[in-house]
Amino acid sequence: MKISKKVLGRVEGEVELRLRWKKGKVEDAFVIAPNYRGFEEILRGKPYLDALIITPRVCGICGHAHLIACVEAIESAYRKKGAEVKLSQKATLIRELTLSCELIQNHLRWFYLYLIPDLIKLEPSLGEEYVPLRGKRWHEALKASNFATKVIALFGGQWPHTSYAFPGGITCDPTSFEVMQAKEFLRSLKTSLEDFLTGMKLEEYVELKGRDFLTKVSGDIGKFVEISFSHGLDRVGSSYHRFLSKHGVLYHRLCKFDPLKVKESNGKGYSWSKTARYNGYPFETGPLARRMTTADKTFRYLSRKFGDSVMVRVLARLDELVRLTLRSLQILEEIDLSQPSWEKPPVDIDTFSGKGIGVVEASRGTLIHKVEIEKGRIKSYDIITPTVWNLGPRDDNFLGVVEKALIGLDSELKAEIVLRSFDVCSVCTSH
Amino acid sequence: MKLLWLHGLSCSGNTQSFLCAENPTAGELLSRFEVLYHPAVSWEADETEVVRKVLTSSEPLDVFILEGSVGPGARKIAGKEFKTVVKEIARKSKFVIALGNCAVFGNIPAKRSPEVKGLQFRFSEEGGVLGKNYRSLSGLPVINLSGCPAHPSWLSFVLLCILEGGKLKLDEKGRPVEIYAYLTHHGCPRNEYFEWKIEAEELGKKEGCLFYHFGCRGPMTHSPCNRILWNGVSSKTRAGMPCVGCTEFDFPREDMFRTKHAMGIPEELPLGVSKRGYILLAGVAKTFAPERLKKRLIDENQ
Ligand code: SF4
Repeated sequence: MKISKKVLGRVEGEVELRLRWKKGKVEDAFVIAPNYRGFEEILRGKPYLDALIITPRVCGICGHAHLIACVEAIESAYRKKGAEVKLSQKATLIRELTLSCELIQNHLRWFYLYLIPDLIKLEPSLGEEYVPLRGKRWHEALKASNFATKVIALFGGQWPHTSYAFPGGITCDPTSFEVMQAKEFLRSLKTSLEDFLTGMKLEEYVELKGRDFLTKVSGDIGKFVEISFSHGLDRVGSSYHRFLSKHGVLYHRLCKFDPLKVKESNGKGYSWSKTARYNGYPFETGPLARRMTTADKTFRYLSRKFGDSVMVRVLARLDELVRLTLRSLQILEEIDLSQPSWEKPPVDIDTFSGKGIGVVEASRGTLIHKVEIEKGRIKSYDIITPTVWNLGPRDDNFLGVVEKALIGLDSELKAEIVLRSFDVCSVCTSH
Repeated sequence: MKLLWLHGLSCSGNTQSFLCAENPTAGELLSRFEVLYHPAVSWEADETEVVRKVLTSSEPLDVFILEGSVGPGARKIAGKEFKTVVKEIARKSKFVIALGNCAVFGNIPAKRSPEVKGLQFRFSEEGGVLGKNYRSLSGLPVINLSGCPAHPSWLSFVLLCILEGGKLKLDEKGRPVEIYAYLTHHGCPRNEYFEWKIEAEELGKKEGCLFYHFGCRGPMTHSPCNRILWNGVSSKTRAGMPCVGCTEFDFPREDMFRTKHAMGIPEELPLGVSKRGYILLAGVAKTFAPERLKKRLIDENQ
C-alpha cells in the first residue's frame, strides 16, 4: 500500500491531494485545504456594512459572488424586519451582469489555464498551442477572459475586489457610453469564443440538442469531447449523482432548495475546511448541478448516458460560459438607465438588529452567506462556499463529494483531472 | 532571470489581478523570465520540488514574489514552516516583492492573530517576518506593492524595471514612488465636487464627492487608481464607490462606508491639510460653488 501526497497548483490557492493506493488503484482519497485565514472570526463585532468590503476578499477569483451574497444577506435581514428594500430593475440587472461576467472569466481561465495543461499530459498531440505561456491559445483565452473583467470594471470600478453593490442597489450611475463599451467588450468576447471554443456561432451552439450536441459541437469543446472519449473521461469522476443549486435539489426527484436544510459540520479534522450537508446528505454543486436542477434536456441526456463524469461536468461549465455570454449581451439591451441605481433602505444602520441569508450561484456553485446583526454590529457571520460542498472532508457517514469521485482511479494524472473538473478553490474552501 | 511566486495566506486575488495585465499581458511578461514556479501558470514544475531546489541551491534567486501574509494558518512546504521557507528564500534573493496588502502589511489575515504578518510590516509596525533591517542581495528592502489587490501594471512596472536594470526609488514604506506618490484623489472625476464641497448625499449618482458622508479615503490614500485605471477602464470612485484605502497599512479599518465627524468636520482630513485651513476653504468654497455643479450632469428629462 502506497500513499502519495502532492500539493497542487493551477487551482485557486493550493490544495493537497493525498491518495492511498492499492493494487494500482486509488483506495482512499483525502483533499486538504491547507491555509486558514479565519474570516468568520474576523467579521465578528464589526459594523455590518464592512462585510461588503471584507467578504469579497475571501476569494480572488469569485469575490464578486461573495459581494452579491453579502449584500443579499443584509437586504434579506432588512426585509425580514419589515424594511422595504426597493431594488430597481436596473440595479438587479447590473448585479446579474457583473456576476455573470465573473463566471465567464472564471470558466475561461479554469479551462485554458488550469485544466487543459492536464489534458496535454493525457493527450500530447493536443499540442504546443495550448501550453501555458508558450501557446497561442493560452494567450488568446487569457485575453478573452479579460473582456469579461473589463465589463465588471465598467460598472463596478475594478475586478477583482469591488464593493459596488450596496444594500438598496448599486453605487454606479452608468451612461450609455459605459453600456456601449460593455457591449463591444462582450462582442469581442463572443467572437473569440466562436473562433476557438465552439467553432460556430454561439447562437448555433445553443441550438445543439441531446445527441447532436456531442457529434456536432466543434472548436475546443469538440476537441475536449474527442479526448474524453479516447481517454475514458466519460467514465471517470462520478460522485453521488446528487445535485444542488439554489434552483433546486436533485436526487431521484427535483425538490425546492430550502436553505434551512443546510448544515455545516467540521468534518474529520484533516482539512481546514468544514463540510456541508443537505438533509444530512452530500451534494455536488456547480455548473453541472445548475444544469441538472433546471432540467436542462441536453444535460439530462448526457448524464443519463455518461453519469456525472469528468466529461459531463466539464461540458456543463463550458456550456454555461457560452450561455452567460449571450445572456450578458441581452442584459445590456434590457437595462433602463433612467431608473435609479440606489434607493436608501429605511433602516437605522447603527441600531439595526436582524438575521439574513444570501444565496448566490457563484462560479463553483451555491454560495451561502448568513449574517446575524445586533445593534449595527455583526454577531455572527457564516459563509458556506461551493467548494465546502464539493471539497469538504468526509463526515461519519459520507465521503466528501470529490473524495468519492477519486476512488478507483488508476493514475495520479486522472486523479488530478477529476479533482480539477470540479474547479477547485482552496481559498474559498478554508477561508 | 529566475522568478519564483508563492502564495501565503491569501485569496489569490493578486494572481487574478495580475492575469488582467495589459501592455504587456501577464503571459507576455512572465515569458521574459525563467518562471521556476507560479501557482496559476506552472504545469510541469512541482512546487515542493522547486522550493526544495531553491533552498539548497548555491545560486541566488533573481526575483521572489510573495502574495499573501505569513504566520499561523499557513501551510508547510517541503516539511518546513511557511515562515521559515520565506525567510530562507528571501535571504538568497536579489529582489523580493511583496505583492498585495497581505504580503505587505498583513491585511485581513493579520486581524486574526498578532503572529500573522507582512514581509517587513505588520500594519503600521515595522519589522514583519523579515525584520526592519532586511535587505535583499540587490541592497533593496522588500519592494512593497500594497493594495487589495495591487493593480497589475504596478507589478509589471517593477518587473520591467528589474529586467531592464532600471533604478527603483522606494518611499518610506518600501513602495515605488512612481506609483505611490499619487493619491486616489488625483484624477478622480469627482474632484471638482470635492473642491467646491458638493457632497454626494446618496449613492448611485455620478455627481458629488464621497468624502464627506461615505468614507472616501481618496485624499489620504497613496495609490494611482485614478491615474492608472483598473482593467484599463475605471476605478472604484468612478463607479461611485468610495475609496476604502486598501493600499494603506491600516486596511481594513472599521466602519469603512462612513466618514466620522467631529463638530461637523471630518475627523480625518486630506493629507497635510490643517483643520483651520479646511474650515476656511470649505466655507468659501460652499459660498461660491457654481450652480452648475448642483444640477445633474445629464438631464434625464431633456
Ligand atoms: S470621491 Fe473620493 S477620490 Fe473622488 S474626489 Fe471625492 S474624496 Fe476625492
